[in-house]
Amino acid sequence: MIEFTKVGKRYPTGQLALYNVNLQLDAGEMIFITGHSGAGKSTLLKLIAMLERPTTGEIIVSNTPLSKMRPSHIPAYRRRIGFIFQDPHLLQDRNVFDNVALPLVISGMSQTEIRRRTHAALDKVGLLDKERSYPLMLSAGEKQRVGIARAMVNRPTIILADEPTGNLDPELAQDIMYTFSQFNELGATVLIASHDHQLVERMKKRTIVLQKVAQ
Amino acid sequence: MAKRQNKSTPATPPASTTTPETKKPRRQTRPSGSRFFSAWQNQQLHALQFSLHRLWFNPVSTWITLATIAIALSLPTCMHLFLKNLETLTDDKREIPTITLFLKKSVNEQQAKDRAELLSELPEIQQVKVITRDEALADFRQITGFAETLETLDENPLPHVLVVTPKLDTLGDSDEALDRFSRKLKAYPEVDNVQIDIEWVQRLRTMLNIAERIVLVVSVLLGLTVLLVIGNTIRLDIENRKEEIKVTRLIGATNAYIRRPFLYGGVWFGLFGGVLSLAIVQLAFMFLIAPVEKLATQYGSTFSLSGLAPSMTINILVASVFLGLIGAWIAVGKHLRKAETSE
Repeated sequence: MIEFTKVGKRYPTGQLALYNVNLQLDAGEMIFITGHSGAGKSTLLKLIAMLERPTTGEIIVSNTPLSKMRPSHIPAYRRRIGFIFQDPHLLQDRNVFDNVALPLVISGMSQTEIRRRTHAALDKVGLLDKERSYPLMLSAGEKQRVGIARAMVNRPTIILADEPTGNLDPELAQDIMYTFSQFNELGATVLIASHDHQLVERMKKRTIVLQKVAQ
Repeated sequence: MAKRQNKSTPATPPASTTTPETKKPRRQTRPSGSRFFSAWQNQQLHALQFSLHRLWFNPVSTWITLATIAIALSLPTCMHLFLKNLETLTDDKREIPTITLFLKKSVNEQQAKDRAELLSELPEIQQVKVITRDEALADFRQITGFAETLETLDENPLPHVLVVTPKLDTLGDSDEALDRFSRKLKAYPEVDNVQIDIEWVQRLRTMLNIAERIVLVVSVLLGLTVLLVIGNTIRLDIENRKEEIKVTRLIGATNAYIRRPFLYGGVWFGLFGGVLSLAIVQLAFMFLIAPVEKLATQYGSTFSLSGLAPSMTINILVASVFLGLIGAWIAVGKHLRKAETSE
């Protein structure tokens, strides 16, 4: 499903984020990526979502080398991915419902379908009663859950989560992880970057540890 | 430098479109033509509503923009309307040109009448009418405002006048023939001056031709202004929504999707600006109707102002919508190109 071959990433600032990463993920796998901060967890996820490009090596997703993907195909590719950012990147001038509905609106779904799916996703993260609130009125944990609902609402094949439980209390974190594994059981490939060792161990999934690159 | 630790749990087969919350049969896997079309329709509808809603987020700046567009559009429209009305003034005059002969002061009434009789026998002339100086003075008195002026004069300053209606069948309809004929009339010893009453029509036409070109130049310049104003407004809107554009791009928005609400925004600006400009023109028109009609009756004319033709109204709206669309397109296109190279 996702295959990294000798992937390296050096940012224009000169910082080396990843070096010689070889990695193979099967479709429907749920995998944790751990490692110290700065080990390149975020970069690895961004490379898959084509938010960054590798400086060396090749990434193949669903048999398509990403370096060969035409720019016009990138939006459709991204719509198959649910990305949960460390900072949820919510639109401040839209309420929770509109934020979560955004991927569905982009896909051009009908109003009724949008309403149904958005409510389902909000229900999943326990924010159904906050659908009319604006991001500024939410706590950090609630914002994070809005971000998660938005990533899942479009039923993506690949879910990439960058520290999704960073701002959540342990109970809620466990709940969210449970939601991820539910998605995984239904066939989505889930890739989670986390430094919460206890949580990761409890989930009993394959774990990849990124070691910090010696500069 | 990744190494594997735990062996993963066995993977379930990929079923990309089902989710925990709905156990419905897959619906997204086979995009048929009609489904694609309805998605496109939904996107259009959403962009349309959203851009309209967005317009009133900042009502003050929206109104300022609309007013600028409306004023820029109403100026050439007003000028056009003015010219069109002047042109209708010249229309009916072309049919029956008359030639007015002002006789010399030394010519008395009998001589004038004799000359008139002689002239009326010419093959080119259909009819000659004599207006004696006394008749002319009486006519003049009728016109308001002149009576007092005339009282102050010791003697009648007006000459005898012969009004000649040429026979166009024998003379021909061309301006040159009329010119030649009027020169011939001027050669008579009694005649002081000859005026063809189509002369002013010809001059007015020439002036109108020039004025039309001026209107064209002004229209192009002000059209360009509308384009720049809308383009700049959309550009500012893009600046304000940079973050939003970035986020939608991250979750898979296409360029077309990002462009769409801005294009609609440009269309709205063009449309509402155009409607507002038509309202301004209509107000100015209503403001002018009464005095113009008063002036026309003073000249004994039945002339009345004609407003914008429906076809012109539609032309103006189409043009302003088009300008809005182009302005928005340029602004968004510029931003998208910049965003693509930076990605």
